[in-house]
Amino acid sequence: MDSAFVALLLTGLFVGNYVVARFLGMCPFLGLSKKVDSAVGMGIAVTFVMVVASLLTYPLYQLMVKLGIEYLRTIVFIFVIASIVQVLETVIKKISPSLYSAMGVYLPLITTNCAVLGVATLNLESELVTGLATALLNGLFSGLGFTLAIVILAGMREKLDKQPLNKHLKGFPISMILAGFMAMAFVVFTYIKLGE
Amino acid sequence: MESLMLLIQINWRIVIISIGITAGVALLMGVIIMVIANVFTIKGQDPRIDDVKENLAGANCGGCGYAGCSDFAKALVEGKAEINDCGATNKDNKIKIASILGKQFSGEEMISVVACNGGINCADKFEYKGYCDCAYANMHSSGPKACNSGCIGLGNCASVCPVEAIKIIDEVAVVDRDRCIACGLCIKTCPKSIIKSIPKSAQVIVACCNECKGKEVMDICKVGCIACGLCARVCPHAAIHLENNLPIIDYGKCTGCGLCVDKCPKNVIHKVG
Repeated sequence: MDSAFVALLLTGLFVGNYVVARFLGMCPFLGLSKKVDSAVGMGIAVTFVMVVASLLTYPLYQLMVKLGIEYLRTIVFIFVIASIVQVLETVIKKISPSLYSAMGVYLPLITTNCAVLGVATLNLESELVTGLATALLNGLFSGLGFTLAIVILAGMREKLDKQPLNKHLKGFPISMILAGFMAMAFVVFTYIKLGE
Repeated sequence: MESLMLLIQINWRIVIISIGITAGVALLMGVIIMVIANVFTIKGQDPRIDDVKENLAGANCGGCGYAGCSDFAKALVEGKAEINDCGATNKDNKIKIASILGKQFSGEEMISVVACNGGINCADKFEYKGYCDCAYANMHSSGPKACNSGCIGLGNCASVCPVEAIKIIDEVAVVDRDRCIACGLCIKTCPKSIIKSIPKSAQVIVACCNECKGKEVMDICKVGCIACGLCARVCPHAAIHLENNLPIIDYGKCTGCGLCVDKCPKNVIHKVG
């Protein structure tokens, strides 16, 4: 269990980072990384949704295998994740307004995000995921990996915004270049041999 | 014929099962969302909040200092905010909101203008190479421009503007009248406080904020007000008077005849609208 835990942690945060190593969820990664505050909010929301999605879809898939309809998994996953997040948003709004203002506004943005669907789908294919507990941990660490990447990029973009740059580079182009550099830096982690 | 054959080859059983399951899941989820939304509706909320929110502009610019229009609507109903804190909402809707809240309102639509025309016409004190940020530049002996109340031109206002109405043209910020929603964020942001809010109906503006005497202004800026007072003398409606070496236009009296615009030797007074 311990080695599996460490492997999941390293995979989620670095080796298989959803944004910079697997290139899923690029839209919020570039769209909401202008300010560190909103990046943190988005990161927390993504982590939350990823945990919920893992928790739901893993048993759901087992059920679908039994019924012999696993070819419908993508569309059913999208339906289920989107509606459950919608439900949770309503519940959070009622129960805890402060949590809603910190996270709730970002929730609708990511309900059908490919990073979230990616977690649900890759949970079924990953060798590290052996049961519901590991699926849950994978969701959690993948979300934290997303948060790590988006907060790093937001920090750099915040500083770069104030720099005297060539106007053709300023704004979005330099962010793309930065994201590329980050991906190159994260590639190094793929040389970590897990399980040895 | 071939396409007909293709139609026969489709496994209709699987198609129907897929459609059935997908529709079933969608229906189930729809019902769940509906039930939960009914159970968890926020009760006890003042119904006027929704009415007020519907009449607000919905720009979510944050110019009022609240987190979006719904927060502002709440503050309005609770009496914490004033209707005029919102610049984006048009006059008709403000009157409607006032009637919802049982208040009197007779406001005028405003618009932001940058009261500086310096930019490349204004001399530089030193060459600034640092953060592209007016507030930073302003900390270094009031910025790189020789004029202490001139636009620095690094675009803090342009970056806070929620509707991208401000552009830096020739090193000076210019507000696009058609886009400006008068939220007032630029006015709060400008470290030089040279962005002013004027009535939208105003036809002339004074594009200078330098309160120094004529000689000093003449040395540093080609388009700075030298306080010659020609505008005040030529105005047939006595709408202009000089205060702190700058002309002040009384928009209540101004008819927009444009005599002051023609007469101004430094092109400080501009015709707008």
